[in-house]
Amino acid sequence: MRDFPRIIIGLTVACVASAFIMGAVFMFTIKAKKHNEYMEFKEAMYRALGYTHKNPAPKTLQFHEIYRYILHEPNKDYMGYMIPLKNGKYCFVALSFEGNFLYKKDLNITEEEAREKTAREKALVAVLDPSVKFFYANKIIIAINNGKRVAYLLPRGFAGFKTTIKVLLALDADYTIKGLEILEQEEDPGLGGEIVKDYFKNQFKGLTYRQISQLKVIKKPLPEEYRKILEQEEEFTEEEIRKIREKYQDSHIYALTGATITSTCVTNGVKNIVKKFAYRIKVLDRIIKAQHINAVI
Amino acid sequence: MARKPKSNFELILNGLFNENPIFRLALSMCPAVGISTTLMNGFLLGLAVLFVQVASSCTISLLKNYIHPKIRIPTYTLVIATWVTTIDLILSAFFPTAYKAMGIFIRLIVTFSIILMRLEVFAAKNPLIPSFWDGFGMGLGFMFGMMTLGFIRELLGAGSLFGHQVLPVKPLLFFILPVAGFFCVGFMMAVFNYVEYLFKKAKEKKIRG
Amino acid sequence: MSRAKGVAVFVLIALFIAISNAYAGGSRFITKASFLKKDKIIIHFAGAVDKKIAEDINNYYVYERTDPDIPLKIKNASLSEDGKTLILTFAEELNQHSPHVVVIKKLVSAGRNLGAAIFTVRKSYVGFLLSILIGAMLVHNFVFTKYLGLCVFFGTSKRKATAIGMGITFTIVMVCSAMISWFLYHYVLKPLNLQFFQVVIFIGIVSLIVQAVDIILRKINPFLFKAFGIYLMLVLANCVILAVPLLIVVNGYNAIEAFVFSLGAGLGYFLALFLMSSVREKLELANVPPSYQGLSIAFITAGLFGLAFMGFSGMSIF
Repeated sequence: MRDFPRIIIGLTVACVASAFIMGAVFMFTIKAKKHNEYMEFKEAMYRALGYTHKNPAPKTLQFHEIYRYILHEPNKDYMGYMIPLKNGKYCFVALSFEGNFLYKKDLNITEEEAREKTAREKALVAVLDPSVKFFYANKIIIAINNGKRVAYLLPRGFAGFKTTIKVLLALDADYTIKGLEILEQEEDPGLGGEIVKDYFKNQFKGLTYRQISQLKVIKKPLPEEYRKILEQEEEFTEEEIRKIREKYQDSHIYALTGATITSTCVTNGVKNIVKKFAYRIKVLDRIIKAQHINAVI
Repeated sequence: MARKPKSNFELILNGLFNENPIFRLALSMCPAVGISTTLMNGFLLGLAVLFVQVASSCTISLLKNYIHPKIRIPTYTLVIATWVTTIDLILSAFFPTAYKAMGIFIRLIVTFSIILMRLEVFAAKNPLIPSFWDGFGMGLGFMFGMMTLGFIRELLGAGSLFGHQVLPVKPLLFFILPVAGFFCVGFMMAVFNYVEYLFKKAKEKKIRG
Repeated sequence: MSRAKGVAVFVLIALFIAISNAYAGGSRFITKASFLKKDKIIIHFAGAVDKKIAEDINNYYVYERTDPDIPLKIKNASLSEDGKTLILTFAEELNQHSPHVVVIKKLVSAGRNLGAAIFTVRKSYVGFLLSILIGAMLVHNFVFTKYLGLCVFFGTSKRKATAIGMGITFTIVMVCSAMISWFLYHYVLKPLNLQFFQVVIFIGIVSLIVQAVDIILRKINPFLFKAFGIYLMLVLANCVILAVPLLIVVNGYNAIEAFVFSLGAGLGYFLALFLMSSVREKLELANVPPSYQGLSIAFITAGLFGLAFMGFSGMSIF
């Protein structure tokens, strides 16, 4: 028992030293980590929009984010959007679940600052009633070129076969899919993990809204010529690509061999994302117009 | 101990062959089976373990006189956990793709008995420089084992090495499946056993004749 | 001893009933509501309801709980002959993994206006818990499907007796440490934004529990200690003991789910040990080539088990 104090001191010193080292490394790496994550995400955005080294994005292309929140007040629940304005700041618009405008408040936060969750929460707390509790739902990224909406980018997650699959879906102005990027997945390599390959992902490219709303998975082998244009293996002319696509692409996705469940998860995930988004953006645009909100989007 | 202290080079060789953590000591096999699917994975995890092993060995060797014997296991575990968290944070910040490939196994390095064992058996009783080389040798042995497995599995499973397609076809998807890890490690162990058996026979021949 | 058992059983049954009922939800006139086939919801009422009002699709507002602003399109509402069962058919397939909220604007029964009703339809929570349990035990068996805890696995699977001892010890330590780690993570680490401490804290908890059980067992029941004491130290070297709390954090389970998950993990490990030891005991009598003897053939056997367990993948009962 004489050793007891020595033991306690020894353990405490060890714990404190270890905590100190880990804390220091954490502080040192957190900035780099966030920067890396942002750069990776930006690259995924460009890929989803179809821009490559050979076909770079126009310099006038800008991205603006809309953030959606769910709000709880003691006797009612409703929804709210943080909308970017032409003056570089945000305004908060609250609407009922049925789509009726409730109120609007200006927020003191720039677009750059709003990318941080804590900064957004601070700005909201400053203008909302203290009895209101809000929860972040998701965000919509709108790509604007020369004042016109070019594309919508939706980072979303849904249940995969093993764990959650996170994707970035790019839609153009009339909800046709421009591209699908898989951000995170932990499916079986060689089986479900093949969803990141072009011959699966690119089947979604070019699907119209009508085709998406009836999208299903079919368990047939992928036709060879379709696979070739999906993987862009050989040089095809525009006309050939169009003809092959017309022949094989419709409201069906060819499932991955040995990974039907994963294929179905991704297909249904994409279908739900587009349906919900199309519904919500219509409601939001209606309110922006009716309330004469000076939005930059 | 009455044994002559091993030279640094011998320590490294020891870690690579005689006491190779994966194939001879049969320790830390979880990652060997689970994620040795590609050469790159094997290399990166091997590197991470090398770092943690060397760092922990050095730390414990430096602190060996200040650690109370009754709490040495928790202290060793704490040191290992600190270094593991450090490399976990560094990797996730500066090498995100590699980090994602390794998933949960980085944080599980803490439970690699091999590291704890080396600290207990060697680093706690030896000065800094030999501890460094012993740790280095063990880490190298682990990396060698992981890369061998990764080489076999990636080549036979995907026909590629380090991500570059080497064979025109994908021979056997089976090898990429995690299950194949068991089979590969089992066969490699048999190979090591056989090699040891041959060495023993050669030694006996030398002694006799 | 048997009285304690009786009390335990009673508590378990009470908990079971409480859990399954707590999620039956909603207004008192609705006795039961659940999913039916791929695109329907079936609702049972305590008494007969007015047909005209019940079959008016505008009387209903149904949404997925995560998206309260998006009403789902109802194609048809049909009431049974006795007026007590209603089937809502939707224009599209329902995403049954997500709980759905049903709002009935007006319920009229036997001439009385009962007002509005709002309730949640979800797949059975008990079923969800059971699927986590079976998942951790079979579908994602930690040894054969996730390849964790192998060092200890091969060390203790030589004999059935050792396997059983290790299995029991491991399961108990697993559940205790997972629960304590969960509480610490949710009430200390997360609020203070110290998530990167997880590794140290989790392994620390395990070490403490192992040490504590070691001391307690030594004093209270030396016979039990003689039987299981050795395995306690081995639990520390088991990757699974750290993997489970880490996975619980990643999957975002709540307390009950964490308990079921860790229980499944422990039982799955026990199962794997038992199967492996049964085979290895037989292997000792078999004619194994010298190079393959020992661990080599054990690994190959484990590989075969792994192949077998792959058959469970994708299995979802609920």
